[in-house]
Amino acid sequence: MACARVHKRWSIVTAARTITAGGATKGRSGADRDQLGSRPVRAPGPPTTVWSVAQFRLQGSKVLAVDMTGDAVKAKNGAMVAYDGQMSFKKMTGGGEGLRGMVTRRLTGEQMAVMEVKGHGTCYFADRASEINLVRLQGEKLYVEASNLLCTDAALRTGTTFTGMRGASQGNGLFTTTVEGTGQAAITSDGPAVVLRVTKQYPLQVDPGAYIAHTGGLKQHFQSGVNFRTLIGEGSGEAFQIRFEGEGLVYVQPSERNTVGGEV
Amino acid sequence: MTGPVIHDVATLPADDNVNPYAFSVDLNGQWFLQKGKMIAYYGSIDFHGIGHGRLDRLIAGSFHSPLHAADWVVAEGQGKMLLADRAFDVNSYDLEDGNLTIRSGNLLAFQPSLALKQSIIPGFLTLIGTGKFVAASNGPVVFVEPPIRVDPQALVGWADCPSPCHHYDHQYLRGFLGGLRAHTGIGGASGEEHQFEFVGAGTVLLQSTEVLMPELATGAVPDEAGVPGGGGHPAQSGSQLPQLPGGLGDLQRRFGL
Repeated sequence: MACARVHKRWSIVTAARTITAGGATKGRSGADRDQLGSRPVRAPGPPTTVWSVAQFRLQGSKVLAVDMTGDAVKAKNGAMVAYDGQMSFKKMTGGGEGLRGMVTRRLTGEQMAVMEVKGHGTCYFADRASEINLVRLQGEKLYVEASNLLCTDAALRTGTTFTGMRGASQGNGLFTTTVEGTGQAAITSDGPAVVLRVTKQYPLQVDPGAYIAHTGGLKQHFQSGVNFRTLIGEGSGEAFQIRFEGEGLVYVQPSERNTVGGEV
Repeated sequence: MTGPVIHDVATLPADDNVNPYAFSVDLNGQWFLQKGKMIAYYGSIDFHGIGHGRLDRLIAGSFHSPLHAADWVVAEGQGKMLLADRAFDVNSYDLEDGNLTIRSGNLLAFQPSLALKQSIIPGFLTLIGTGKFVAASNGPVVFVEPPIRVDPQALVGWADCPSPCHHYDHQYLRGFLGGLRAHTGIGGASGEEHQFEFVGAGTVLLQSTEVLMPELATGAVPDEAGVPGGGGHPAQSGSQLPQLPGGLGDLQRRFGL
């Protein structure tokens, strides 16, 4: 019986589209798969990694399905569209970061209405038919706007961080949300996100309105091309960019939010 | 584990789609693009507004659309540049010594080997020459050949064939009630009584929804005799009678008042 269950899980997971945030995607061999039925682990995967139990997978590109077996995930309040099995939904005041986190979020304008979903079965999440991108974190930090964060593993820690002018240019405030730890997170975007790698030789410039998230050790500068032509109404419309330097991944959406910078 | 592809400067396609919603330009020189459609780039690229003195020769050769000058920029430099537009489908098209007319809001970018001119049909732009351009559409583009009648909201553009004319269904024009119905919608109008009709040889580009992409107001064409849409004066009806209120002027005219 347990065997059958494991196999079912396997087929679900292979269908999932996931990103290894570190970049190196490890293929699993057929031999690995054969052994899986006899192994006592429930979650399949490279044996070296610690896997959280909740399994994220995409149902189409706009619905996130999370398979849970008694464990929990944190999700945007009200993002549940359907579930089967037994689920409980608990509002987490202040994003589940305690009193200090709550005050910080209130002060920084990165309020997140978060609920904790716990139970057995499959829970489906979606947010205004926006595209969903899965990010697998292995110890690194994901920087994402609170409004773009749909769901995270309960094992991941969330917090806020100062971003400076970059945030201001996006019209999203001076602060952004961080997600840290090992596990999966789901972020939303307007149109499927393009994942761009930044290396030391090849820095990347991104339009503030198209930026949604990044991982890895990246330094960001706010780059402005404002000159006297902007002032006389001959601006290029691309006056502001965020320049990413270092090593990491940047998620951009094929769409631009309305930003102050976009008009100049 | 098949995740979304992670792109870097080397794996981004050259002048091709990254996914249906994003297009990667391998820039080596200059491209025209509509303001705000660049989402990210590698390399060193400068963006100049049209009217930048140094670009005078380029503009003179490729950009003949003063009404749209405020919406366009020239990207200059070397690198890979990603273009996208509000998560609409984007596609590139190659013109070979051809001409193509497209709704102005749909055109995202084009190579300077093409010349951009305003179509005499308001709200449309014509590209003439040889080169590549990138256009957005709401849903994938369908190519059809004339003779065909198309819904005005689904029309993206057309190539090579003569400009379209309006076509009204016959019932639209028949009788007093038909006229009333057409103008007020009372009594049931299907919403499909009016089409654009294409004839001749060429290709018509349609989008697969009837949701128009919002476009920027571009002002009016010069106030000259013989310029369609110019001047901003409404066409004078032959009648000297005072016009009925409530936008019924056309109706009045149809019944010969």
